[in-house]
Amino acid sequence: MSAPAAETMLRALTEQRFRLATGVPCSLLKGLFAELEDPGSAARRAGLRYLPAPREDSALGVASGAAVAGERAVVLLQNSGLGYCLNVLTSFNLIYQVPVLLIVSWRGHDDTDAVEHDVIGRRLLPLLELFELPHQLLDRDDPAGSVHAAVAKMDQARRCAALLVTEPV
Amino acid sequence: MLTLTSVVHELLDRHPDACLVASCGYPSRELFGAGDRPANFYLVGSMGMAGPVALGLATVRPDRLLVALDGDGSLLMNLGVLPMIAASGARLLHLVIDNGMHESTGGQQTVQRTDFTALALAAGYRSAARISRPGQLTALDTEHTPLLVQAVTGARAGIGPRVGPSPAQLVARLRDELSRPPAPAR
Repeated sequence: MSAPAAETMLRALTEQRFRLATGVPCSLLKGLFAELEDPGSAARRAGLRYLPAPREDSALGVASGAAVAGERAVVLLQNSGLGYCLNVLTSFNLIYQVPVLLIVSWRGHDDTDAVEHDVIGRRLLPLLELFELPHQLLDRDDPAGSVHAAVAKMDQARRCAALLVTEPV
Repeated sequence: MLTLTSVVHELLDRHPDACLVASCGYPSRELFGAGDRPANFYLVGSMGMAGPVALGLATVRPDRLLVALDGDGSLLMNLGVLPMIAASGARLLHLVIDNGMHESTGGQQTVQRTDFTALALAAGYRSAARISRPGQLTALDTEHTPLLVQAVTGARAGIGPRVGPSPAQLVARLRDELSRPPAPAR
């Protein structure tokens, strides 16, 4: 997938009135972070603010604060960071009913990735399903449609939804 | 000597228009008991998240003073929030109740007595102050934000009431409060 996929995804988010992005990088999400870090990018000029976070649970906390104030917010993270987020998801988002969108790189989704991704990679979908978090796999041929589908699932369930990314964007 | 109760009362008197995010346990219960209002947002869980949640609110309403009512234990759990708040330049008062213990769970000691003002300044907060006597919070210059105030307190006498409104109700009323345009300057 080439750089424009990142632009397309972020345009879909700004069209959906997302105003805050935060998170912790993954090499699979490199293109998205490049756009977010560039003050002149289309997404930033369209009003998407970006705050780098030290850890994924803090990113989720910040995004949740913005969502409480009525804004749409997105957190970008590697699936390893989902572990750090579990307490915030379960003791904040799911009980305060504050949804934010999660763009999650799915490391270890097959057997070709580094060993540290094996366990969480194999168990990512059951983990999301355990907490009834809706998810959507990014379709490399239709990145905008995948974003819209993930946001629709988040809105419908009124729960954090995960857009899962298995190839570099 | 300061107590959680005295600091919260001084805070509410000093910043009646601020939006307050209280850490779980005693800080939330204290604030609820001291004077419940829509601009009070109580965390019932998610220890360590008062700073991040307050920061998220501050990015949406930069015109409004946001206060994160934290504890020494909950801030020690998530010191990483300090550079994030500093980098944002948010209009945020980070008020740390430092009683040297996890009082909400029975008074167990926290890791160590910590100079949170030094940590905040090293992280890039624009100002920081340590207070230990009544009146000092009232007299404090809170213009240069983000600002961290370390309030060294003793133990609390007794325990505050449990937060009444449901989490979803807390969200709804705060969102309603924040959807109003900024109050005119007085």
